[in-house]
Amino acid sequence: MNRLRALLAPFLGLLFVVLLFSVLAPESFPTLYNFRTVSTQTVVVGLGAIGMSFVIMSGGIDLSVGSVIALSSVAAAAALNAGWSAAAAILAAILTGAICGLVNGLLIARLRIMPFIATLGMMGIARGTAKRITGGQKIDAPASWLPDLVSKSSADAWLGLPPGLWILLALAALMAGVLRRTPFGLHVVAIGSNEATARLCGVNVPGTLTRVYALNGAFAGLAGAMLFGRLSVGEPTAAVGLELDIIAACVIGGASLSGGEGGMLGAMIGAFLMAFLANGMNLAQVENYWQEILIGAIIVAAVALDRWRHRRG
Amino acid sequence: MRSPRKAGALAMFALLLASCGGKADANGDALLIAVIPKGTTHEFWKSIHSGAVQGSRDAGVAIYWKGPSKDDDRDAQIRVVEDAISRGVDGIVIAPSDNRALVRPLEEAVKEGIPVVVIDSPIDWEGKVSYIGTDNYQGGVVGARALAALLDGKGKVLMMRYFEGSGSTMQREIGFLETVAKEFPGLDVISANQYGGSTTESCYATAENLLNAYPQIDGIFVACEPTTFGMLRALQDSGRAGTIKVVGFDATDKLLEGLRTGQLHGLVLQNPFKMGQMGVQAMADHLAGHPQPKLVDTGTVVATKDNLESPEIRDLIHLDFDRWLK
Amino acid sequence: MSGAPRLRMRGVSKAFGGVQALRGVGLEAAAGEVHALVGENGAGKSTLMKMLSGALRPDEGEMQLDGAAYAPSGPAEARARGVAMIYQELTLAPHLTVAENVYLGREPRRGLLLDRAAMREGVRRAMELLARVDVRPDARVADLGPGQRQLVEVARALAGRAQLLVMDEPTSSLARDDVGRLFAAVRRLKAEGVTVVYISHFLEEVREIADRYTVLRDGETVARGEVSACSDADLIRAMVGRELEEAYPRVPHRAGDPILELQELAGRGGLRGDLPRSVSLSLRRGEIFGIAGLVGAGRTELLRAVRGLDPIRSGSVRLCCVPPPLLGLLSEDRKQEGLALSLSVADNITLSRLGPLTRWGWLDRRAQTAATVQRAQELGIKITSAQQTTGALSGGNQQKVALARLLHEEAEVLLLDEPTRGVDVGSKAEIYRLIGTLAAAGKAVLMVSSYLPELLGVCDRIAVMHRGVLGAARNASEWSEESLLKAATRGEAA
Repeated sequence: MNRLRALLAPFLGLLFVVLLFSVLAPESFPTLYNFRTVSTQTVVVGLGAIGMSFVIMSGGIDLSVGSVIALSSVAAAAALNAGWSAAAAILAAILTGAICGLVNGLLIARLRIMPFIATLGMMGIARGTAKRITGGQKIDAPASWLPDLVSKSSADAWLGLPPGLWILLALAALMAGVLRRTPFGLHVVAIGSNEATARLCGVNVPGTLTRVYALNGAFAGLAGAMLFGRLSVGEPTAAVGLELDIIAACVIGGASLSGGEGGMLGAMIGAFLMAFLANGMNLAQVENYWQEILIGAIIVAAVALDRWRHRRG
Repeated sequence: MRSPRKAGALAMFALLLASCGGKADANGDALLIAVIPKGTTHEFWKSIHSGAVQGSRDAGVAIYWKGPSKDDDRDAQIRVVEDAISRGVDGIVIAPSDNRALVRPLEEAVKEGIPVVVIDSPIDWEGKVSYIGTDNYQGGVVGARALAALLDGKGKVLMMRYFEGSGSTMQREIGFLETVAKEFPGLDVISANQYGGSTTESCYATAENLLNAYPQIDGIFVACEPTTFGMLRALQDSGRAGTIKVVGFDATDKLLEGLRTGQLHGLVLQNPFKMGQMGVQAMADHLAGHPQPKLVDTGTVVATKDNLESPEIRDLIHLDFDRWLK
Repeated sequence: MSGAPRLRMRGVSKAFGGVQALRGVGLEAAAGEVHALVGENGAGKSTLMKMLSGALRPDEGEMQLDGAAYAPSGPAEARARGVAMIYQELTLAPHLTVAENVYLGREPRRGLLLDRAAMREGVRRAMELLARVDVRPDARVADLGPGQRQLVEVARALAGRAQLLVMDEPTSSLARDDVGRLFAAVRRLKAEGVTVVYISHFLEEVREIADRYTVLRDGETVARGEVSACSDADLIRAMVGRELEEAYPRVPHRAGDPILELQELAGRGGLRGDLPRSVSLSLRRGEIFGIAGLVGAGRTELLRAVRGLDPIRSGSVRLCCVPPPLLGLLSEDRKQEGLALSLSVADNITLSRLGPLTRWGWLDRRAQTAATVQRAQELGIKITSAQQTTGALSGGNQQKVALARLLHEEAEVLLLDEPTRGVDVGSKAEIYRLIGTLAAAGKAVLMVSSYLPELLGVCDRIAVMHRGVLGAARNASEWSEESLLKAATRGEAA
C-alpha cells in the first residue's frame, strides 16, 4: 500500500505530461506512431534503469553505465563484423556489460572502494576501451535484424508495438519479481536499508553486491545492443552522460539514493515521463533549454515531494 | 510557457505566406519544412539558420528549426528526426551528425512520405533528394595549398583533428593529408592523430598539450571552427602566436581578429548561408515537382589578411544574423 | 545438573596489536540459565561477544557448546549452531517488514521464491510466545516504536531456534514498561531451556533477571557466582576494582533566582507532531531539576522545544535578564547527534563557539588547543592531546567532551538528555559530581533520565512527564522509585 502511494505522484506527473501535450499538439502527439516513437526512445534508458534500480536499492550508485553502454554497442558491432549472428552479437554486448559490472562489483564488495569512485573509474576505463577498440572511429556493421527490435515501423511491430518495448516491459516485470519475491532481492533491499544488519544476519553482503553490479552491467550491455540497433553503428562516443538520465529515471520513480527504497515500476514511470516530456516539447516546438530546465526541476520536485511525504509519515 | 504563443505566431506567418501566394500542401496549409542542424551553439549553425530563413522567404514555405539537445549527439538528433516525422512535416533538410546512424530514421521519414535534403555533411544513403554542401575533401586540398604557400613548401606541420567520427572534418583532414603527401614533399607532418573533441574547451586543452609536446612547429592545419579557436587560444597563451603559420576553417569574429593581427594566416571559408538557403529552396522545388541535382557544391575560398576586404569574402564573414533571426 | 553445560569458555585470550583485550577468560552457563556478564566499558565484554558471534577468533583457549567444540567462522555458522545475538544498537533494516527482518539471511524458500506464508506464520508464533500479538508480521520496522523493535530482535532469535542468546545492554533504548515485557520474554525463553548471556550496566536488572554472574575487569574474569549470594557493593567493587565511596556524590549548591520559566508550553515534536502537550515549570540558577517519564512521553521533545530546535505550538518560554542566558543541549544520541566522532576533541569542544578563537577569520589553532586543555582539566577528561580523535575515547570521556562543549558555549542553562547513557559505573559518579559542580557554579540544570536512582540521587526537584504533560514538581526527597514509576505509567500520582 505504502509502495503504491509512493508511485502516485510520478504516475500523476506522467499522466499530466501526456494530457498536456495531447492538448498542445493534438495532431502529432497522441498518435500510435508517436507512441511507438517515444517507446523506442525509452528502451535504452529503461533497460539501464532496471539494472540501476538494483544498484540504488542496495544503497550504491553506478556512474559507468553510459560508458558501458557505449562499449557494449561497439562490442555488438564488432561481433557482427566478425560474422557472428545478431543473437550472438546481443549476447556479446550483454557479456561485455556484465564483465564491466562484475569488475565494479568486485572493486566495491571485495576491495571496499566507494561505489561512486569505483564506477567513476570504470566510466573512464570503459569509454577509453571503446575508443581503443574502434581506433576512435565509429564502426560500421553489416545489417541484421537487430535494428528491427527498436524500429517504429508497424511492419516490425509485435501486437502493434515495437519489439524493444515488449522486451523492456517483460524484463521490468521479471526483475520486479526478482526484487520482491526472491531471497536475492530481499538481501539487496536489506543491504540498502542497513548494511551492518544484513552482515550480522549472515547475508553474503560482498557476494550480493557483486551480483548487483554484474546484473546492472548486463542490463547496460543489453541497452548497448539496443543503442547499436538505433544507431546502426558501433559508436564509442555515444551515450555520454546517459547514466545521469538513468539515475534520474530511478529517482523520479521514487528511489532513494541512500538505499532501501525504490522499485521497477517507478523507474519505468520515470523513464517514460522524461521521454514523453522531451518528445512533447519537441512536437510543441519548445526550445531545448526549457527541456533541460524542466527535467532538472522535476527531479528536484520528485525528491522534495518524497521527503515531504516521509515527514508527514 | 512561450511555445503556444510561438506556434501561434508561426501559424499567422504561414497564413500570411499562404495568402501571398505561397506554396501549400494538399490540405491547403503552408508547406512546413524541418531544418535539423547538428547543433545550435556554434555560429556556423546560425549562418545555416539565417540561410534557411532566407530560403523560406524566397520559396514561400514555413520552416521548423530544431537541433539536438546536445551538439553532435547522434541519438539526440535521431530523436529530433523521429519527432519531426511524428509532427508530420512536409520535408526534412538535415545536416546529419553521422554518415550512417541517421540513415535508418531518414529512411523511415521517406517511408512516411517525407523527402529529405542533406546539407553540410555527407551521408551514405541513396534515398536523399540532394546533397548540398562544401566538398569537404576539396576544402582540405585548398587548405593544404594555402599552408604550403605560406611555408614556401617546406617545414614541420601539425594537424589537430576534430572529434572521432565527424564525417565532414574527416574528409577535410584526408584532403589535407593526401594533398601534402602528393604535392608538397617538403612538408613533414609530425602529428596528425590527435583529436580535440567536440567542445571548444576540449580542443583548447588538446591544443595546449600538442604545443607542449612539439617545441618546433612551422605550420598548423585545423579543419573546423572549434579546433581553430582552441588552437588560437593555446598559441596566444604559450606566446607562440604569430611564429607558427596557421590555416584554419570557418570565420567567427575571434578568428577574423586573429587573421587581422597576424596570429592566424588563412581561414578556409565555407558558405553555410548558401547551404541553408539552397537546402530549403531545393526542398521547396522538389515538393513542387522539379527534379533536383544529386550533388551541389557550395564551394570554399581561403581568406587571408590581404583579401579580407574583398566583396566576396565580406559577404561570407559579415553576416548580420539579425536580418533573419530576429 | 547433568552433562556438559550449554556454553563453556576456558582460558580465552585475545590481543589486538600490543593490547591484551582478553586474558584467560572463563565463562560457563547451563541450559535454562540467565547468566549476567558485567564489567565496565572496555573490560572486554564486546570482544567476548564478538567471539561468540564468530566475528573474532580467540588467540588461545577453547569454546564449547553442549560439549562440542565451537569455533564459528561467521554469523551464519553461529546461527546454524543455535547462537543468536541481540546488540545494544538495534540491528534492523528499517525499510523491511517485521517478517523480512526476522528471516533475513535464512529465508524460507519455495523453489526460487520467498515463502512469505511460512515467514508470516513463524513470526506470528514467535510473537505469541512473547505475548505480543500486536506486532504484525507485515508492518514496516520503520513504523514501530523502540520497544516493539527490540521484540523483533528477540523474535529473530526465537524463530532461529536459538539455544544460546546473547543480549548486549538490551534495555538501553527501552522505557520501563517495555523493559518489563522484555524480561517476561526472557523468562519464557528460560523456561524453554534457552540459555541467555545478559550483558548490562544496570545492577538492579542483573538482580532481577539473572541466576548467576561473571564479572570482567581489564580482560580478566575477576568474580563469578550466584547473584542471590552477593551484594551490589560486592559487584561494584569487583567491576571497578576499588571501593566506590559513593554512587551519587553530592556537591553542595544553592538555588538562586529563576532563570527559565515555561508556561503551558506545547510543541510540534514526536511521531504525531504534538509533543510536548503542556509543560509549566520554573527553573532557578544553581538548581538541578529532574524530569522522569517513559520513552515517548515527550521529554526529549520538551528539551528540543526549549532549546529552539523544534517549533513551539503554543505557550511560552521566558528567560530572565538582558541579554538572555544561553541554553545548551546535551543530546541523548551521542553518536548520531551529540558529537562528530571523527573530529578531534578540540574541534568538538569548540565547534559551537569558534568566534573568540579566530583572528581575521582564520582559526587560531593554538588558542583552540589552549581552550581545550583548560576544559579537559576542569572536567577531568582523560585525553592524550587536544587533537585526539573523539571516537577513540571511552563513553564516559566522550560524554564529558559533550559537556565541555556546553561550557565552552558559556551556556547558563544546561539541558541534559540522558547524560549517563552508555557510560560505565565509575564514570557515572564523575559525571554526577560534575553536574553538582556546575550547579554550585550557578548554572541551571534541566536533566532528563530514564534511570530513576540517578534522578533521585542527583536532582533537587523532580517532575514526571506523562503523555506530553508535565506533572507538579516536588523535592527529590518526597519521591521514591515506586511513586515516580506510578506517575510515569498512570499520570499524576495522587
